[in-house]
Amino acid sequence: MDPFLLEAIVNGILLGGVFALPVLGLNLVFGVVDVVWLCYAELVMVGMYCVWFLYTQAGWPLIAAFAACLPVVAGLGLLLHQLVVRPLLSSPPITQVLATGGVLFILQGGAMLIFGTDFRSLGVEMPPMEVGEIFVSGTKLIAFVAALVGAGLLWTFLKFTYVGTAIRAIARDREVMPLMGVDPRRIYLVASAIGGTLAGLAACLLVVQLDVHPFIGLSFGPITFMICVMGGLGNMLGGFLAAFLMGVIISTGGFWWNTEMSYVVAFACFIVVMFARPRGLFAR
Amino acid sequence: MLTNRRTLLAGAGALAAGRAFAQGTGAPIRIGLLHDLSGPFAGAGSVPLSVGAEIAIELFNERGGVDGRMVQAVAADSQSRAEVAINEAERLVSQERVDVIVGVYSSAHAVPLAQRMQAQGKILWINSAIASAVLKGKHFTHVFRPTVHSDQYGEGSIEFLAEHCERATRIAPTQFKLGIIYEDGPYGVGVATALEENARRVGMPVALKEGYSATAPDLSTLVTKLRRARPDAVLQVGYNPDITLFLRQAKAGGLRTRMLIGHGAGYSQIDRLTETFGAEIDHFCNVDPAATQMLDPSRLTPPARELQQTLLTRYHARTQSNDPPTHASMGFNNTWVFLEHVLKPAVREGGGSIDAMRRAALGVDIPVGGTIQGYGVKFNPPEHEMAGQNGRSVAVVMQFENARSKVVWPTPIAGGPPVMPLPAGSPFALR
Repeated sequence: MDPFLLEAIVNGILLGGVFALPVLGLNLVFGVVDVVWLCYAELVMVGMYCVWFLYTQAGWPLIAAFAACLPVVAGLGLLLHQLVVRPLLSSPPITQVLATGGVLFILQGGAMLIFGTDFRSLGVEMPPMEVGEIFVSGTKLIAFVAALVGAGLLWTFLKFTYVGTAIRAIARDREVMPLMGVDPRRIYLVASAIGGTLAGLAACLLVVQLDVHPFIGLSFGPITFMICVMGGLGNMLGGFLAAFLMGVIISTGGFWWNTEMSYVVAFACFIVVMFARPRGLFAR
Repeated sequence: MLTNRRTLLAGAGALAAGRAFAQGTGAPIRIGLLHDLSGPFAGAGSVPLSVGAEIAIELFNERGGVDGRMVQAVAADSQSRAEVAINEAERLVSQERVDVIVGVYSSAHAVPLAQRMQAQGKILWINSAIASAVLKGKHFTHVFRPTVHSDQYGEGSIEFLAEHCERATRIAPTQFKLGIIYEDGPYGVGVATALEENARRVGMPVALKEGYSATAPDLSTLVTKLRRARPDAVLQVGYNPDITLFLRQAKAGGLRTRMLIGHGAGYSQIDRLTETFGAEIDHFCNVDPAATQMLDPSRLTPPARELQQTLLTRYHARTQSNDPPTHASMGFNNTWVFLEHVLKPAVREGGGSIDAMRRAALGVDIPVGGTIQGYGVKFNPPEHEMAGQNGRSVAVVMQFENARSKVVWPTPIAGGPPVMPLPAGSPFALR
């Protein structure tokens, strides 16, 4: 096998790891609360700024900055739910989407006012791994492993805890679960906090790979939504698998054709999937 | 430097409303300033471009404007989005009643803006957007661009390599392989096309030529393909953050080459690149018009020399920048050419009408050394294939060293030969 093709496939899998966490968070919130957080990528952006500020400006150790980022973005997720989503739970979906879209612009504008338009870099990197002719980015590899661990922890929580079971049950049937004694408002809060935490974790992984600026969400936000829909909106396992599939499609598409075409190929695959399985590739 | 949109718009507002009214005699002359003060282009050179333009207007007013009439800038933010640029230009023209818009960072914005301003009979004075496609074959009568165009970037880069590759690497130009990667907007496509055409002209093989979106979240596959193509020089045309993303992934992906050349935009933000990569960018080259501090002051005319010092002092006072990016020089220089050599005579001799400004622009005749960027100014007439383009603009090749840039091409004005190939200490150097 062409070692460069193999490298492209490995890169695609690692890229899938980058997409996986925001996809999981977005799907969790949608599956439970039934509202699309259009500003999800901007929550990740806030988390990236949080890490950058604590590490480079406040002089915190990187691990401490990461640890602080998670509750900050989780808190932001809670605030988003309480202040914006909860009052609109019974509103038409378009109202909810426009409201969270408004938050997107508020977060972008706020970041610009506070941090300006400059690109901020953490200046942290890991040495690459070299296996034969194949190079694998150490930073990406660690991000990939962290994404797998994060997904594993989420799965364990959802599978083996009472609250996790309630979350899954609410996601299955929003109408019946309150009759079983589950308080949906509490579950919505927990799901929003977990969604925020996953955005925070994604921020920790992305900030070591990309410069942060107020519009960084444009780089991965649209593709994150596409993956969610492709895997089945609200379907966490489907979204998780679709993230890796899309990563490999983009990477190998770029290898065989060119980088511009890789996204055309990815979108073409997305459209084909939507025709064949309108509820998503892995919808039950 | 912490420069945000609010500061910039407020600064421009102060320019407009402050001293101008207090000191002026007669109605102020309103001009529109259109830059990307937010969005990805803001951090890739548009903000220094706007700061340079503001300093030029501030200085012009301090020197009395046009016989006591001050220039009032009406600033607008095109937010790195073409549709916003068009809407803001429309607002400036129809609501703010300006006859001239100065600035414009992105070629993707300049292409539609030039068409619209021409159709409305207003003047568009382009300080930065360099794609040849903005003017080529259009025969515009109301659009002027004092700065260089993308064909000159291609010529500069390839001539530089052709001149030095055999001496420095013992590889003949006809064997010296190029990897050309570019953002897929008019700017990237324009420069990449010029690079390919010039490479063909000198017989230099192009091993890989590939575009990408400037907002792509990952360029590692492109790095893999470059490694497979094994180019002797990688030529990148990009903004930011695509440049930093590429360099970071190129380093992690084991890309090694003999030379890396950027072509303005993100590569001209040396402070930003140094902040991210430190000495790792040492000995990279960049093609752009010269930032004024790179030029030997003795080669400039005395008025240009004085302007050079004024810009450097004031830009440092505003931003604390050690090595002002080229865009600061472009913003100041090209705005100054408009104010001093077009607006002033147009107001004096033609009442400041659009037609008088157009005539004045076509009459500008500044010799080499007469501007702070070294080049002269003489605009091509409407019948020229590149009407409105400054026929005397010059791009130079500069090389980074210790967070500074020095000119290495054209040879007659170079400070010395380039360091080539990349030295062994560079993480991008061939081992």
